[in-house]
Amino acid sequence: MSSEDAVIRARNLGKAYQLYENRSQWSKQVLLGAFHTYYRSFWALKDVSFAVQRGESVALVGRNGCGKSTLLQMICGILRPTKGELWVKGRVAPVLALGSTFDLEATGRENVMIGGAVLGMKRPEVLQKFDSIVDFAGIGEFIEQPIKHYSTGMRSRLSFALCAHLEADILIVDEALAVGDQAFQRKCLDWIEGFREHGTLLFVSHSKAEVMRLCRRAIWIDDGRIREDGRPVDVVRAYARAMEVEPDDMKRFSAA
Amino acid sequence: MTSLSEAPEEAPVLHVIDGELLVTERGGRGARLLAFLAEPGRAAWRHRDLIAAILRRELSERFKGSVAGWVWAVVAPLIALATYTLAFAGVVSLPNQAAAASQFDYALFIFGGLIAYSFFSEMAFRGPSLLHEYAHFIKQTMFPAEMLPIISTLRATAYVLIGLAVMIVAQIVLAGTLHWTILLLPLWLLPFLAFLIGMTWFLAALGAFTRDASYLMMTLAPILMFATPVFWTIDGFSPTVRLLMYLNILTGFIEIIRDISVLGSLPRLAVVLWTLFLSVATFYLGFWFFRRQRDRIADVI
Repeated sequence: MSSEDAVIRARNLGKAYQLYENRSQWSKQVLLGAFHTYYRSFWALKDVSFAVQRGESVALVGRNGCGKSTLLQMICGILRPTKGELWVKGRVAPVLALGSTFDLEATGRENVMIGGAVLGMKRPEVLQKFDSIVDFAGIGEFIEQPIKHYSTGMRSRLSFALCAHLEADILIVDEALAVGDQAFQRKCLDWIEGFREHGTLLFVSHSKAEVMRLCRRAIWIDDGRIREDGRPVDVVRAYARAMEVEPDDMKRFSAA
Repeated sequence: MTSLSEAPEEAPVLHVIDGELLVTERGGRGARLLAFLAEPGRAAWRHRDLIAAILRRELSERFKGSVAGWVWAVVAPLIALATYTLAFAGVVSLPNQAAAASQFDYALFIFGGLIAYSFFSEMAFRGPSLLHEYAHFIKQTMFPAEMLPIISTLRATAYVLIGLAVMIVAQIVLAGTLHWTILLLPLWLLPFLAFLIGMTWFLAALGAFTRDASYLMMTLAPILMFATPVFWTIDGFSPTVRLLMYLNILTGFIEIIRDISVLGSLPRLAVVLWTLFLSVATFYLGFWFFRRQRDRIADVI
């Protein structure tokens, strides 16, 4: 695969978190770090290489804690990789749990204004799209109510509606659709299908049907590495089979 | 400038190799230094809509759930001023007798000091926990965390401006005078803002890693209040002690605000320049420190 028109390129990408036994180990590291290492490295992502072309729609599958979210957070620019090379071109819209950044005391309107600004929209742009956002979310008069009175589904509706209006180049959807009802899920899936015509999609989902419908490629991440990369049909089947055979072993969360 | 912002923005590129962010740096050492000096202003301009949105929200939040709302912001300084007037009017005289035009001067004198000190202490208390307040944004979106100290300092400024307005009105009503030197107020406020933003950058980055920063400031700030000429002036001390006192930047700020508002005299040039120097130095050191820690913050917060 050529990287002529790539929007995301990753080479030997890895991310380590520093784990400390306690706070005093941390302060020793700050003061004496030049002489001795006081932390254990936990490699959430070990060695990942791939490229995504413009207009591709890629599903990421894998068990909890396999490194999917870490990878997505690095692509968004939230986390800095520890090693390897990462190159991302374009405006990234993270639908990853955007609803959880909402300020519970503020109204839906205030949160749209702040959320839009955080995602890089200009104020006139948000104002102009405001009615359309509320319309897409379909929450009606609740937009004037504090978010704490919203149901979980309403929150994710509003956050998805906001991201849908960002005009992003790369859309990152991290299990965001799971909480919406059927009608809203269909609306989102339809919208994503439309988005795929000009944008790039990274999609994390445990729903086989959604992956099959939206994506032309799937990457299976296992224990911080790419285990399989190919057609969704093959990857999802291999993944599902492995889930049946391999036990849910909690040891994989412990640091190496 | 306008034509630039009208043009479609170039697609942003994120490029990291082995944990090092690659940025195209043009020019030599001098050009890079200039770019660094211009960076805070440019970043603030780029994120101006975000700053405005969060600032608007923070200001409306402060008195949410109270019926009187903004009245509290005016009443609090009024009560403080009334207390000092009752407690001190006629009891203590100003060190500089010639300038003491009325018995209310000492109250205004203290009030000026308190406005400056409380401006500082609000940021000192809030700074270390600032990034924790916004952790959900920092962890989940590409949030420009370096704007938070600017936003919170601007919020504190709103209350300082109310306090200053109360002080000016009180001066007119009680003392019957208003000195032209009050026009120099921006020369006091802008360096103070720069100092506080720089300090908050430093405290916020430190506080992200350890809560000790919070406790440290809670312990230090009240002590600092008595090491700072809030209730007195430094005129009575020997020249050596006075020089030492000026190491505390608040000394300069308090002296300047008293000179231009209560005493109606021009502040000493040396004090103004020294305070300006400390402010600008704090601003850029704080910014440099915050940027150095920026990438590790999302990992630990």
